[in-house]
Amino acid sequence: MPIRFKALSYIYNKDMPYAHKALDDINLEIREGIVTAIIGETGSGKSTLVEHLNALLLPSEGSLEILDYNLIANQKQKFLKPLRKDVGLVFQFSEYQLFEETILKDVAFGPLNFGFPLEEALKRAAEALKMVDIPEELFSVSPLEISGGQKRRVAIAGIIACDPKIIVLDEPTAGLDPRGAKQIIDLFISLNRKLKKTIIIVSHDNEMVYNYCDETVVLSKGKIRYHGPTLELFADQEKLKEFNMLEPQIVTFRNLLIENGFKVSNEARTLDMLAKEIAGQIRK
Amino acid sequence: MSLIEVKNVSYAYNENKKVIDDVSFNIEQGTYVTIIGHNGSGKSTMAKLIVGLLPVKEGEITVDGITVNEENIGKIRTKMGIVFQNPDNQFIGSTVKDDIAFGLENKQVESKDMEAIVEEYAEKVGLTSFLEYEPQNLSGGQKQRVAIAGILAMRPDIIIFDEATSMLDPKGKKEIKKLMYDLSQDKDITIISITHDIEEVLQSDDCIVLNKGRLFMHEKPDKVFANAEKLREIDLDVPFIEKVREAFRKNKIKLKADDLEGMVKELCRSGSKH
Repeated sequence: MPIRFKALSYIYNKDMPYAHKALDDINLEIREGIVTAIIGETGSGKSTLVEHLNALLLPSEGSLEILDYNLIANQKQKFLKPLRKDVGLVFQFSEYQLFEETILKDVAFGPLNFGFPLEEALKRAAEALKMVDIPEELFSVSPLEISGGQKRRVAIAGIIACDPKIIVLDEPTAGLDPRGAKQIIDLFISLNRKLKKTIIIVSHDNEMVYNYCDETVVLSKGKIRYHGPTLELFADQEKLKEFNMLEPQIVTFRNLLIENGFKVSNEARTLDMLAKEIAGQIRK
Repeated sequence: MSLIEVKNVSYAYNENKKVIDDVSFNIEQGTYVTIIGHNGSGKSTMAKLIVGLLPVKEGEITVDGITVNEENIGKIRTKMGIVFQNPDNQFIGSTVKDDIAFGLENKQVESKDMEAIVEEYAEKVGLTSFLEYEPQNLSGGQKQRVAIAGILAMRPDIIIFDEATSMLDPKGKKEIKKLMYDLSQDKDITIISITHDIEEVLQSDDCIVLNKGRLFMHEKPDKVFANAEKLREIDLDVPFIEKVREAFRKNKIKLKADDLEGMVKELCRSGSKH
């Protein structure tokens, strides 16, 4: 079942002099089982939108259907805890939220909180840490003593350990070096491909979005400006201009190749694939 | 004498692990130098040592011939301005104008002169029409420009950008990099930029690469990127243009141009030969 935003608005400081409509009449269906990117300038409402997905924020107007839950404006919500188990949200700079004495305890905190017995919680924590490539010898180390990239992966493990159906990542690669960023990208791709998790990523990294995200939502000033296949968005220069987006360099290069008479297939979304196709045409 | 001389500097936060290990380099007056390295390479520590936020315990750093130590730090700070990573953490004034003026007030510049100075530097960073705005109503890139204007107004010899673009969106990044490049054309200003943004390195004069606390390379950008494999080994990326070169090299096509248009022309030429 898709995630459905229905005429959803969110107003910060409602009924106050500084009231601010951060989301304005959002109608959106996010498909299950794919990777969807949410992009838009700072202040466009991206974080506000995703914080509705596990009911950290509740709609001021309209409603949100997600899994078996229905969040309706101005109605008392009863099922927030199971919803929060099913929808894991990894915050921006999530490493700042690590707090336990050891890495293993930190990751086990979520499952314990959702009612798993200690032994089961620790088992889940160990499995999640394995999945994010944290070696066992680090399990008993303080989360403050590892590198930035490792901390970020521990924070993500804390979400994976709760086995959510939907995983939402708010700028998961910001501030990481390339290897750290690549590890996070590989991780969410495998969560999607192998474990069939629905992945929603807020990002400023258009190149990453172009390479890996099936669909893209563009937000601007609290409204949806585009929702559709990522490739179609980036192939449309008019739209990029309209949304004030910088074209990823790979798209610039691809367009230059096409303008100069080369044939480029839709599948060639990475440089390696582009180079291979072009080399094939040159040798003919 | 170079403007900044770093001589055999080591630093450890706790005794058994050196985060900076016997590093030496010089930075010349008027150059734009980028410092890159993976997370934990020591680049932020290095910056903190240069500006005296951390004490130099081993080795020596001099700025304009003056040794960086507790005694001289006041003198050295008047020569430097620092732009930090988080644009939200560096505001003091309630309007853009007040914020740019803050340092000048501290320096006891007379109020009759102040307005002209504030306007001059607001213009330099392209914020003339925003002087009465509250900083929190600006975009990330605009906020960083306010911070930069405030620093420029103090007429420093050296500006240090400590990952100043890493929290900005792509437009903000582009905006600040352009401004950094424009500033670097003024040979009275020396720019040191600690950065994650490998594309930024291309617009700098020199690049210092740190790895595990040691100096790995100190070269012109094109030399630094000539060996992509070597950089990847130490967890660094290469600019897009080098990735294109690499991807085609794997397919036995050699590209020499320094920009995408040039490369596509080369590809067209080798296509018509066949």
